[in-house]
Amino acid sequence: MKWWTSIISQEIKKILSYRSDFWVTFVGQTAIQLVIARALWSSVFESQGVVSMQGFNLETMTLYYLIAPVGTRILLGESFGFISREIYDGTFTKYLLYPLSFVQYKTLTYLTNSLFYVLQLFIIVMLYRMFFMKAAFEPTMFLNLMAGMALFFIGAVVYLSLGMAVELISLWADNVWSLMVMLRFFTAFLGGGFIPMSFYPEWARRIMYLTPFPYLVSTPIRTIMGDVSGAEVMKCILVMGVWWVIFRVSVHFIWRSGQKRYTGVGQ
Amino acid sequence: MKRYLSLYLYFVRFSFSKSLEFRMDFTFRILMDTIYYFVNIMFFKVIYLHTPLLAGWNEDQMMVFVAGYLMVDAINMTLFSTNMWYLPFLINKGDLDYYLIRPVSPLFFISLREFSVNSFINFLMTAAFFIYTILQLEGPLQFWNVMLYSALLFNGAILHVTIQMIMILPVFWTQSSRGFVDLFYSMGLAMERPHRIYRGWLRIIFSTILPFALIASYPAKIFLEGLEGKDILITALVTGSFWLLLSLVWKKGLENYSSASS
Repeated sequence: MKWWTSIISQEIKKILSYRSDFWVTFVGQTAIQLVIARALWSSVFESQGVVSMQGFNLETMTLYYLIAPVGTRILLGESFGFISREIYDGTFTKYLLYPLSFVQYKTLTYLTNSLFYVLQLFIIVMLYRMFFMKAAFEPTMFLNLMAGMALFFIGAVVYLSLGMAVELISLWADNVWSLMVMLRFFTAFLGGGFIPMSFYPEWARRIMYLTPFPYLVSTPIRTIMGDVSGAEVMKCILVMGVWWVIFRVSVHFIWRSGQKRYTGVGQ
Repeated sequence: MKRYLSLYLYFVRFSFSKSLEFRMDFTFRILMDTIYYFVNIMFFKVIYLHTPLLAGWNEDQMMVFVAGYLMVDAINMTLFSTNMWYLPFLINKGDLDYYLIRPVSPLFFISLREFSVNSFINFLMTAAFFIYTILQLEGPLQFWNVMLYSALLFNGAILHVTIQMIMILPVFWTQSSRGFVDLFYSMGLAMERPHRIYRGWLRIIFSTILPFALIASYPAKIFLEGLEGKDILITALVTGSFWLLLSLVWKKGLENYSSASS
């Protein structure tokens, strides 16, 4: 077995090691977020006496809020502290001895988690379309879903580099998980994970599109919902590519100047 | 009682010296919660760009509710959050032994041991925001009404941590590292929405079985729309029931505790 397949299979075993927790959390989180979002937006639509707002009706709004949290989980991959915790307690040392770089190892474990959530997204969207929207199976719908899933996965690669740059700050600071939480807030808020981008004022949208977040969250969701053209998908990939280069270069420099500070204390 | 109070003061003192040791982390955490508050306020501000009323409340009234749940969150973060984070690890690693043999209530010890100083600063921020939102309301302010609202929010904070612990304690049986705490955080979103958006059975669920609506939304309703005996009765009954449930789960959990790997 090649080294990368054994890392992936190890990671899958880890994800599935507490099955009851995993499924209760997955089903519970999805159901609760769906119910709350639907209740909120029904109330907003009712108070205005309209059936649609900013291009959303209740069905599409519900779908949006169904995709957003799973999409965010795809981007987040492994949980916070996937590097900083190990730097803090000294277990990071093992990566310096592995026959592959820590970047390769972390990329594999992170993206295995992301891929797992991509599969969850597929199941959720298909079930919702079939049972709640009663939508007939159409090749375009399937293609949109595939394209959206691919965008989320590419987004996870970009987010991993951004997360790595932040996590490596722990070579200087003792604890950086709060920075990762802040990053998560920004991602959801500026990316359209809390409220669809079309609800923000025009000036705010212009500013938000200067950041990578709408491309990581909003565009993939809208792609799955079939609201995005092929050209927009290509633009999204291109923009994410540029951000990825920026973050990777940052990781390179942060690691180069920070690695000498690593002491391996605790091991 | 006096013994517990003096013990708690020791906890607070230790927590202060520990927090100030890691100054950068201390600052980051304050900033993190500040951003959380900003995002929550902005969420409703953006919604109110599209509607003048939500769940029967205008923007100023909604901000009173938002300030309420941010304050509940700050109380929880200050008093309980760090302790709740460590709880599953104590159970899994067998470290709970050290708390069971001490001559104080283990529940008191494990849930109040760490006082989060950075969150206390955030609590002061939310309290200031709370006062500001109340002053923005039209009409005369009644002192006792504000006091009742604050007391109900504190009760909400207690209810919040009680539900959280009930969701964590299944680790006694599942031996997982988190219990159902991630699910709890997702459910916590129900606390951050006014209860009137929920209809029928959903409102009953969020007021009884999963009583997130009682944490901040009912107190805001009582403050904004006047006291109704029924609301107070539901709040008292549910809080009491959840306390009983927590002691039952804790007792059953301890019977199942194997002290593995200690």
